[in-house]
Amino acid sequence: MTQRLTIDLTVNGRPRQLDVAVHHTLLEVLRDDIGLTGTKECCVVGECGACTVLVDGHSVNSCLMLAVEADGADVRTVEGLARDGELDPLQEAFLDNSAAQCGFCIPGQLMSATALLDQIDDPSDEQIQEALAGNLCRCAGYEQIFAAVRQAARERSA
Amino acid sequence: MSTMKVGLSPHRVGGYERVTGAQEYLADIPFTDVLYAKLVTIPCGRGRIISIDKSAALAVPGVRLVLSAADLPQPVARFGPQYRDRPVLAVGETKFHGEPVAAVAADSKDAAEEAARLVKVEYEVLPGVYTVAQALAPDAPLVREPELRPGDELAGSNVLTRRVFEWGDVDTAQADLVIDESYSFPMITHFAIEPHAFAAAPDDDGIAIWSTIQHPYLLQRMMAELLDLPLAKVRVYAPDPGGGFGGKQNMKLEPLVAMMALQTGRPVRLVLTLDESFQASRRVSAEFRVRSGFDRDGHIIFQDIRSDYMLGAYADIAERVVTKSQYTAAGPYKVPNVRITARSILSNTTPACAFRGFGTPQVNWAVESNIDAGARALGIDRAEIRLRNLATRGEEVVPDDTPADGLWPETVRAAMDAIGWDTPTPAGRGRGIAVGIKASATTGLSYSTVRLLADGSVLVFAGTSDMGQGARTIFAQIAATELGAPMDAVNVVSGDTSVVPYDQQTSASRSTVFMGNAIMRACRDIQAQVRAMAATAESVPESQIVVDRGVVSLPGGDVPIVDIVRAGLGKLGGEIIGNGMYRKEVQPEHPLGGSPAFYEFNCTAVELSVDEETGHITIHKHVIVGDTGKSLNPAQVAGQDEGAAIQGLGHTLMEHMILDESGRIRNLGAIDYRIPTSMDLPLHMESVAIENGDGPGPYGSKGVSEGGLLSVQSAVGSAVADATGVVIRQLPLTPEHVWRSIRDARASQDQ
Amino acid sequence: MRRFDYERPGTLAGVIALLADAGAGARILAGGTDLVVGLRDESIQPAVVVDLKWVAEFAGETIVDHGDVIRFGALATMSQIEHSELVLGELPALAEAARVVGSVQIRNRATLAGNVCNGSPAADTTPPQLIYGATVVVAGPDGERRVPIDEFIVGPKRVDLQPGELVSAIEIPRPPPSFGAAYLRSVRRRGTDLASVTMCAAVDEDGTALLAYGSVGPRPFLVRDDSGLLADPGADPDHRAAVLDELLSQATPSPRSIRASPDYRLAMLRVLAMRALRTALDRRSGRAA
Repeated sequence: MTQRLTIDLTVNGRPRQLDVAVHHTLLEVLRDDIGLTGTKECCVVGECGACTVLVDGHSVNSCLMLAVEADGADVRTVEGLARDGELDPLQEAFLDNSAAQCGFCIPGQLMSATALLDQIDDPSDEQIQEALAGNLCRCAGYEQIFAAVRQAARERSA
Repeated sequence: MSTMKVGLSPHRVGGYERVTGAQEYLADIPFTDVLYAKLVTIPCGRGRIISIDKSAALAVPGVRLVLSAADLPQPVARFGPQYRDRPVLAVGETKFHGEPVAAVAADSKDAAEEAARLVKVEYEVLPGVYTVAQALAPDAPLVREPELRPGDELAGSNVLTRRVFEWGDVDTAQADLVIDESYSFPMITHFAIEPHAFAAAPDDDGIAIWSTIQHPYLLQRMMAELLDLPLAKVRVYAPDPGGGFGGKQNMKLEPLVAMMALQTGRPVRLVLTLDESFQASRRVSAEFRVRSGFDRDGHIIFQDIRSDYMLGAYADIAERVVTKSQYTAAGPYKVPNVRITARSILSNTTPACAFRGFGTPQVNWAVESNIDAGARALGIDRAEIRLRNLATRGEEVVPDDTPADGLWPETVRAAMDAIGWDTPTPAGRGRGIAVGIKASATTGLSYSTVRLLADGSVLVFAGTSDMGQGARTIFAQIAATELGAPMDAVNVVSGDTSVVPYDQQTSASRSTVFMGNAIMRACRDIQAQVRAMAATAESVPESQIVVDRGVVSLPGGDVPIVDIVRAGLGKLGGEIIGNGMYRKEVQPEHPLGGSPAFYEFNCTAVELSVDEETGHITIHKHVIVGDTGKSLNPAQVAGQDEGAAIQGLGHTLMEHMILDESGRIRNLGAIDYRIPTSMDLPLHMESVAIENGDGPGPYGSKGVSEGGLLSVQSAVGSAVADATGVVIRQLPLTPEHVWRSIRDARASQDQ
Repeated sequence: MRRFDYERPGTLAGVIALLADAGAGARILAGGTDLVVGLRDESIQPAVVVDLKWVAEFAGETIVDHGDVIRFGALATMSQIEHSELVLGELPALAEAARVVGSVQIRNRATLAGNVCNGSPAADTTPPQLIYGATVVVAGPDGERRVPIDEFIVGPKRVDLQPGELVSAIEIPRPPPSFGAAYLRSVRRRGTDLASVTMCAAVDEDGTALLAYGSVGPRPFLVRDDSGLLADPGADPDHRAAVLDELLSQATPSPRSIRASPDYRLAMLRVLAMRALRTALDRRSGRAA
């Protein structure tokens, strides 16, 4: 029986060995233990998507995943989107379309959109809406977010 | 040589941080040795606190403080932007569900949570008032103790204020048709994706406070008064809020966190859960009875509006919400006879406060729906009846006050064109159109300091919180334009009251106008200094030099500002500092303390269909037309207008807080309080800006952040009636509510 | 959230031993989308959380075509189900139900077995499983037993699992070619929501109609109409309505719910039944063709 566990995982390409409390979520470990605060906390019931990260390429709510479940996993957060100081085309598209208003939901939106574009090169509007349905934006900049995802899809396939 | 950066849509200032995760919201700020705070509450609305046993909580390792009202200096300090009515912690009884009765501070989040769970509060549920009817009942329990309302003739009731705005004579006015109906607008919460958060730390012999606040300077002043400290010893850090919408305008739990920091001598941070944020702020709910008189041509003869706005347990800024919105409750029309009787009523619910639209969407629902009813009864087109009554530029909507300051009929016609009003409505659909105005800021004061550095780059100091409206981008665009700097060479500094000069607040869509003008004036100050510098350098009289929009015009030709500055500052370098101030004075006799600086006018038109079997509404087309004066950043204008419209759709279609008999909120949190997702949007949305350069802001601009939601509910309600023949007067138009209304209407038709 | 112990056995036997040991104090973790919500709001306070994701027997077995049976491993997720060509082709109503469970993020984690074991009367995937005649494979100290899903679900939050037992797989028989089924639900908004009515309808070659519906009583119900009326769109509407009323008579929605009132739920039950039957009939002819 154990209340702490040492886990090995990769976060944004960097291997890490962490000693975590088993009742802490991946969200808590990312934010509080590692200091990667780009991933946000809001509803903590898997409804708002502010805490969305990619685990082995799949988008998940990090508030509903225990950190110990990420043992051995490849985790990607918003901090891992830009490479070598260069923004990802999706991030550029969010800037071009003024898609970030208050910005608090944006890391989650970006991660869900990344997962979508990794799976579907040229998503339809319906697919974009469906893919982002788990990411609430109270500024309701949805039209601008959709435009950004469409732009990034075009650039990726070009 | 154009340096014009306004009218374009450059990348948002702060955008890079927002898309990389680098933006530090309050919960993200690293603190050394911080204590985690957690609130202790009881599961009812009004409850008597019999005892609080802290012993088990204090025994939890790592717990540094368990604070209840009894541990605070007596009498417990009270605060509020309008009334000093809210205690730092509940005293004797809770007044609403979620009011903290104690708070815990510990070395770790786990310890704080465990200790909060172990604080044993013995309580008794007391009868409370949770609806307007309950609050107005003759034997209703009083929300605010009469002794806190000395000299107030309403102290024996739950009515906080009763305001009457009146002109003409409603009682003798002769109308051909009178529509007399009742309406309601439910309790709605802000649901900013960033929950409220607060931190405080002892700072030399003063205090530093971090807050997700929209009005840091007001917080600074209220905290200084509360703690009896000089303003200079209260330093407020206001990192960009992750959404505010009015819910973060005024002080809420900062006094509690400050006292915890002072008692422990350590930094303390309290980050609310989303559920707790529901208990921190909400929109004022309301009930209306409106009598509208028309002549047979559809001219509005009178409006007799009775409004009952339900505040929460503490007034916050809600009484002002009521007063200000009711002042223009008759809408953007020329109405000869008006009587508006508005009551602000206290209840044992979440303290209501400002929320985008500031009380206007509520009364708009009632008044615009009544105008629709008039149009239907008279057989007049619903857009036409509005055009017949709208004030146009220069005509008054409230006697002797700011007249209409835009081309409002033109705005309505633009919406009609965009929705195709004059084309046949497709089968199975309905259309609706509605208008709204909101009075902008009535007083205001903004200061800015702008520093033009030796290489031509610019630092703008502006204390306006950027909560997503994009204020800093607008400010940078203005400074870049006036000083000839590229956008990426302008930085806007805000969020620290010890560094950035005073700004009264960001509310009422004021920032572009008020702070924008202050920055413009600071830039003019710099331009004047550049002119003097150029005169010396070029040996030309100042009168022959013009400096404007980044360019120095000398008799011999145009030179960029940066060339003059670089040469003028010489080897020692340095900078040119400009100061600007924009002030709108208090008018003591004015019912609002001042006339509105401008009006935000908006027209919304929708086309929708209703699934009559299930009650689901599908919005096929949603058009928003706003009068912006001049869109300084068209992409941000669209973002504000469309965002406001979708937020308004949430209010219209799905949002409402549900209480049980003891005042407990049953749908706390994201599972059962529904807001629009990416799948709940209109199938097509279009926003249009009317630009006539007739606003008081820089380049003829007006504020824009609220227009898109002023009349959404009214336009949708109108369209539902058009599609189904059934008029619904209570929001929200949930599927079940629409289904039930249709069923009941059909049943009564059959009889 | 409160502290608990965490175990992640590598074998099914290891899980069973732990569960038998800890008794009621143990909770199984598969996708965690219900469990972690419960852990945080403290409606679930286990002594030990047993994670299934390290069990060797479950690794690799997600959705397997065994010919007459389609088998879903304990860790098969909603995302895997909604995108599975096999499920889309053979069990379209189950794919429809899986597709509306929460958001993409939820569906990437939530498991079919977890949805069943959670025992929610509003669970989306239960009505299609009732319609398709799913069998729940239960592993325990005494070996394996197979329980029809209709018997496995007992009541709200209650399923037929004894101490030491867990669901190791769900098996659904491949429907005959001329079997059409469809799933619909009633929600408050189009984006993610919990259903206030769930409805799955099916029609077979003989004109037998099956309805399975939930969120209107302590557990979902499976009912059957052999009259042929529901499978015949041309039949007299009053007769069809009478049959439907009889089939839906078990519905007793709670008056306490904040999601929908009883009369709305009952009305939607009828609307959704007719709509789902229509789609099921279309699918039957599509499959038969």
